[in-house]
Amino acid sequence: MTQAAIAGDPGAPRKERAGLRPGQRTFVWGALIPIFLYLGVFALFPMIWVVVLSFFSYSPVRVGDGLLGLGGRNPFIGLENFTSMLADTQTAQLFRTSVKNTLIFAFLVLVVNLAITLPLAVLVESVHNRVKGVVRAIYFMPTISSAVAVAIMWGYVFHPQQGLLNNFIKLIGLTPPKSWLTDPGAAVFGVPLAMVAVIIAYVWQDFGYNLVIFIAALQGIPHDIRDAAQIDGASGWQQFRRITVPLLRPTLLFVCTLTMISSFQVFVIFQVMTGGGPQNQTRSLTMDIYENAFRYQAMGWAAAMSLILFAMVLIVTLVQFRVLRTDWEY
Amino acid sequence: MATVDLTQSSSPSVARRNPLARIGTYAVLAIGLAVTLVPFIWILMTSLKPASEIVRIPPTFFPEQWSLNSYQTIFNDPKVPLARFYLNSTLVSVGRVVITLFTSSLAGYIFAKFVFRGKNLLFGFILIQLMIPFQVVMIPAYLILVQLRLIDSLWGLVIPSMVDAFGIFLMRQFISTFPNDLIDAARIDGASEFGVYWRVVMPNLGAPLATLGIFTFMATWNDYLWPLIVITTHEKRTLPLLLTWYTSQHGQRYDLTMAASILVLLPILVVYIFLQRWIVRGVALTGMK
Repeated sequence: MTQAAIAGDPGAPRKERAGLRPGQRTFVWGALIPIFLYLGVFALFPMIWVVVLSFFSYSPVRVGDGLLGLGGRNPFIGLENFTSMLADTQTAQLFRTSVKNTLIFAFLVLVVNLAITLPLAVLVESVHNRVKGVVRAIYFMPTISSAVAVAIMWGYVFHPQQGLLNNFIKLIGLTPPKSWLTDPGAAVFGVPLAMVAVIIAYVWQDFGYNLVIFIAALQGIPHDIRDAAQIDGASGWQQFRRITVPLLRPTLLFVCTLTMISSFQVFVIFQVMTGGGPQNQTRSLTMDIYENAFRYQAMGWAAAMSLILFAMVLIVTLVQFRVLRTDWEY
Repeated sequence: MATVDLTQSSSPSVARRNPLARIGTYAVLAIGLAVTLVPFIWILMTSLKPASEIVRIPPTFFPEQWSLNSYQTIFNDPKVPLARFYLNSTLVSVGRVVITLFTSSLAGYIFAKFVFRGKNLLFGFILIQLMIPFQVVMIPAYLILVQLRLIDSLWGLVIPSMVDAFGIFLMRQFISTFPNDLIDAARIDGASEFGVYWRVVMPNLGAPLATLGIFTFMATWNDYLWPLIVITTHEKRTLPLLLTWYTSQHGQRYDLTMAASILVLLPILVVYIFLQRWIVRGVALTGMK
């Protein structure tokens, strides 16, 4: 990654002088000390403090007697926030539901997203350059749109009577669902219908991002390889399956990781489109954290939940590093 | 993968040789375009219908009777001083962009071009930062703002995000390839170290600064969760907050809520139309999200 360190690179930092001259020292530390003091307050402290808070029963509305409001009526409770996640209380059940919903959401988003973006990227890549530019720009439009506006827009698209979708379904002669967002009994292959609706809206907003990355990666594949396969008589599907996908593996891995991680963090579309309903079928982990921390002021408990979110992100990231270490030569 | 030229031309592929495959390709692309664009068009059309036409079943797609009533209602609503909300969003977004571009390029330059003790440790901390989702640290971040008395202030939306780990990382990558000879020449000519950064390095960072700036702007403009936590006074709301508030006030008046959505979407879409080349290229180059 750091090719800049190779000797002869005109951009490599000068190695021969270890250390800085006095004027440089003033500049480097004059700039870095304020920046890292700032990061100490707004980045390092929050990382430490979220761990500290998770060991306390902390609420900012109660007055503690120790350091920064801890202690006193905000007592140290050890691992109780974590052990109570497995308890039989309503709060813990809600938490487990939200984790389950988030995992279902992230997994299905990943599958649907890749099933759309990968073949679509191949098609976009195959057309004339001018068409390609326009098509790509339009496909990318939803990703730059306000998530709140998108959630409100799709809430209306899913409207049972006036909504675009149900009227379209009727138009092609099928029976639309009575309600997309509020019927707790409706499900598709065991996935609640409201969750399906949220996934549709989210993939609609997000697919352009992966699409652009795939198109860029496809343009990096040397055309000789595909031309050779074509001369050898490979069909379009064989080329896709045997050449394109294997050559895209590093990109695929990157895209999978990023899609997973960002799906774990989705908040707006759940909050605005369904509000977590019906019957908490679309309550996401971030919604649960937000509600506990800022509506019920149960910040110690919410901090413990944030650490679970972090663990989920960390696991996906570590799996990526693990897989990346395998040999990618082809 | 990271340095693909998006304009490079491709050799003719199957799709262009086989007419049937070509028709199929364009058909699929057209369906995709329709799915992408129709929801936008649908809410635009909804916002241009009179209230009586909205509730009709089955609904019309294009207005039978065109009306600007919904927009007039919003503009004349004394509870919705639109200029105020546009100003709030603009101030916060522009403020964050300017500060982030400065701190990212300054720290990125130092990490790219200087050798000093503790460098790996400090840069390692930046890399760790990249892995921490905002939702994980938002509770302590909120408690810090309470201590600083910045709750319910637009400053509270800018001050916690003045240094961006991703921005520093991105700038370091770009500045690494900047020729040392130019920097040394400026030093020999008597430029101060800050002068080298400000007058030699900075002016050559047009492309990465533009990319980072656009993305910071859009992320701030569209941000919802942090303003939702920080802002409590109506007049201090940013546009996404205004939109959910307005929707909660006029739930069943879809002409009004869709018009309000259009008003929030429009500025970014206009910016996008002019800058889409930069934006799309930026994603392909950096994997930014």
